[in-house]
Amino acid sequence: MKDEVVITVPSHPKYLSLVRAVTVMMGAQNKIDDTVIRQMEHAVDEACSNVIKHAYAGDQNKQIGVTLRISPEAFEVIIEDSGLKADVASLKGRGLDEIKPGGLGVHLIKRACDVVEFDEKKEKGNRLRLVKYLKVKHGDKDHGP
Amino acid sequence: MEIKITDHEGVKIISLSGDIDMYTSPEVRKPLLRLIDQRVPVIMIDLTDVAYIDSSGIATFVEGLKGMMSYRGRLKFFGIPERVKEIFNFSKLDRVFDMYGSMEDALKS
Repeated sequence: MKDEVVITVPSHPKYLSLVRAVTVMMGAQNKIDDTVIRQMEHAVDEACSNVIKHAYAGDQNKQIGVTLRISPEAFEVIIEDSGLKADVASLKGRGLDEIKPGGLGVHLIKRACDVVEFDEKKEKGNRLRLVKYLKVKHGDKDHGP
Repeated sequence: MEIKITDHEGVKIISLSGDIDMYTSPEVRKPLLRLIDQRVPVIMIDLTDVAYIDSSGIATFVEGLKGMMSYRGRLKFFGIPERVKEIFNFSKLDRVFDMYGSMEDALKS
């Protein structure tokens, strides 16, 4: 059984709080561990910020599609845009020991997720897939893989 | 995002409330950099009512810290909620940011 929520928001930074709220609610409704929810909230926020900054180069009149799926095995979020292709090398971020502005977002995404991958088959724009595998709860068949 | 700036015997205190993200961090950056341009010797950031901070908020504070280091000013943080502190720690900025539990502690140091 998979629960799925799909939202589309304008590429304006004022909608980031909305995307965060939906991510948190999706996790809470499905009784996901609070630490996982908070880290996914950061990951989705940073990924959508990157879409606005890089894929759309600050254009606030485009659209961002966010699909949130929860199954017993995983919390999965797909973020889609129709902007410039992402530079996969940009997924590296700055060294955490370097004290300088910028480059932290990628680390927040990678910290939260077991899978961070761009769909290379998408012809126009980007489709980023973020997956956090959920731990099996002993004695809870609904949450076991 | 609400921003309040108060003066405490020459020390400027920027009190923030709400989420600091890509949308609101430019609002935080503007008064912070203005005070740095004025070479205010001590700026304190009150984070008591901040619920969330993202990488753009962190970048704003790193930029502020670097700006203040150029004239040996001090940027201090106090009232840091656990969620925000966790991001400071994760980004290893707890090693370079001056962090205090209360305004009194920050003023005293």
